[in-house]
Amino acid sequence: MLRRSRRHLAVLLLVTSLLATACGGSDSGAPAKPGQPDKVTVGVIPILDVAPIYVGQSKGFFKKHNIDLTLKQAEGGAAIVPAVMSKQYQFGFSNIISLLLAKSQGLPVKVVSNGTNSTGKDGKDFAGLYVKSDSPIKSAKDLEGKTVAANNLQNIVDTSVRASVRKAGGDPKKVKFTALPFPDQPAALQNGQVDAVFVVEPFQQAVLANGAKLIASSYVDAAPNLCVALYFTSEQMQAENPDLVKRFTDAMQESLSYADSHPDDVRQIITTYTKIDQTTVAKLTLPKYPADINRDSIQEMADLAKEDGLLTDSVDLNALLP
Amino acid sequence: MKVVLGLAGLLGFGVLLEVAPRLGLVPAKYAPPTSEILTTLGKQFGRGDFWVAVLDTLRTWMLGLVIAVALGVAVGLFIGSVPVLRAATASTIEFLRPIPSVALIPLVIVLQGPTVEATLVLVVYASFWQVLIQVLAGVADIDPVASDTARSYHLNRVTRIRYLIWPTALPYVVTGVRLAATVALILTITGELVIGSPGLGQEIANARTSGAVPEMYALIVVTGLFGVAANVATRAAERRALAWHPSVRTEVPA
Repeated sequence: MLRRSRRHLAVLLLVTSLLATACGGSDSGAPAKPGQPDKVTVGVIPILDVAPIYVGQSKGFFKKHNIDLTLKQAEGGAAIVPAVMSKQYQFGFSNIISLLLAKSQGLPVKVVSNGTNSTGKDGKDFAGLYVKSDSPIKSAKDLEGKTVAANNLQNIVDTSVRASVRKAGGDPKKVKFTALPFPDQPAALQNGQVDAVFVVEPFQQAVLANGAKLIASSYVDAAPNLCVALYFTSEQMQAENPDLVKRFTDAMQESLSYADSHPDDVRQIITTYTKIDQTTVAKLTLPKYPADINRDSIQEMADLAKEDGLLTDSVDLNALLP
Repeated sequence: MKVVLGLAGLLGFGVLLEVAPRLGLVPAKYAPPTSEILTTLGKQFGRGDFWVAVLDTLRTWMLGLVIAVALGVAVGLFIGSVPVLRAATASTIEFLRPIPSVALIPLVIVLQGPTVEATLVLVVYASFWQVLIQVLAGVADIDPVASDTARSYHLNRVTRIRYLIWPTALPYVVTGVRLAATVALILTITGELVIGSPGLGQEIANARTSGAVPEMYALIVVTGLFGVAANVATRAAERRALAWHPSVRTEVPA
């Protein structure tokens, strides 16, 4: 018995060391050897917004700029910002309000490329404010005293919804927000747990299938052609490797332009990195992917965030944007 | 007989979950019937990225478990065999042990980023205590007569651990491994879900953000099968490693 237990121990130790070796190499962004492409890891979220970077990867736009691209999916921006700050990822994807908040808290974030914009068309955006089919709520103004589900509080969704309420002539302070992840919102609206939801695709299709009514396109109300999200890096990365940042920006611009003019490629690539089913993908309203950053819309977002009390100070947009 | 009853129970549960959405007791959109989940599960088997996720989860789980067991046994034997150390560390262990691993998620994300290493830290932290506590209990359980005998024979430390402490502690170690295996699986999936390190947990989260409800349940079923496999495997290992022990030996009722 004792001999056998010693053999078990030996096997155990062997397995440990084997696994340790097998698991070892997860280094990212090691400085490239001369002539080798730079290894770049980008933190993304598995949603429609990041389709252009996947398209660019499959079209070889990054390879062309000597970048060996790895895309890592995180469950939300909250995990991406620290990873970029600690240089585990070289770049990351985040919505504009999160970046403004990060900057105002003194984090050295630096935008390098545009990400996603609203379609700019009222009633035809990739996100919207919805109420149940039989709801008495007719406009965003009627939300006063009502509860709206937002995927995160004090972020882009509630800021945009407040803009809709303001635009409709209501008092945004009288609207109550409750945090609820997008996937849970269609059921919550249906059960009457909340009076309105603000959902993005593919959950816009889910609430539409339940017969929900659109009362506002809040991303459109917040600012014309609102810049919803961008790609960013750390100020250290920008200072230490401006050439790599420039190449990434160039590759991103190419990817964004291509994606914006090739919606079929975008729909196809979405089926590869998300699990949205084919029939829904065909119906989705896609966001716009302009190559250039809409600074005016970001200024308006910053003003809204300040008005709503998310930001206490003005953020220096020149320090945040390229 | 036990197996038949067990399977019947499982089958009954499956039928219940099949019938409830079909009768409209729960909305089929959010709780799809068993048959749909199983069909989706079948489709997963043909996909490469499913198997990649399975291997990622298995690797994080096993690696975390092995590290935790190795650390737990080594530290446990060491602390346990030195009474002064035992007394000095007792309060610290009792303070650190109840900290839920998930509470460390923000910390490991800052330290490690959303990586496998971050999840591993959680897995090791949670399962280490399961093993350590068992080993300490095992070492404390040594028969005083055997201990006195060892002392009067002037056995040195290594020999004492080898012939006295280890055989006494082994049943406890095995229990610790069994508990740790389940805890390690839970934390592996949690880490993948919340931190976003690659594996089945991340696939579940992706299915959720894609509104792919049947696929989400199919992946959850897979993690459940992992749990069952862990229990069966550790039970079997327990019977083998402790074939001599009265708790396992059944042929001669005392």
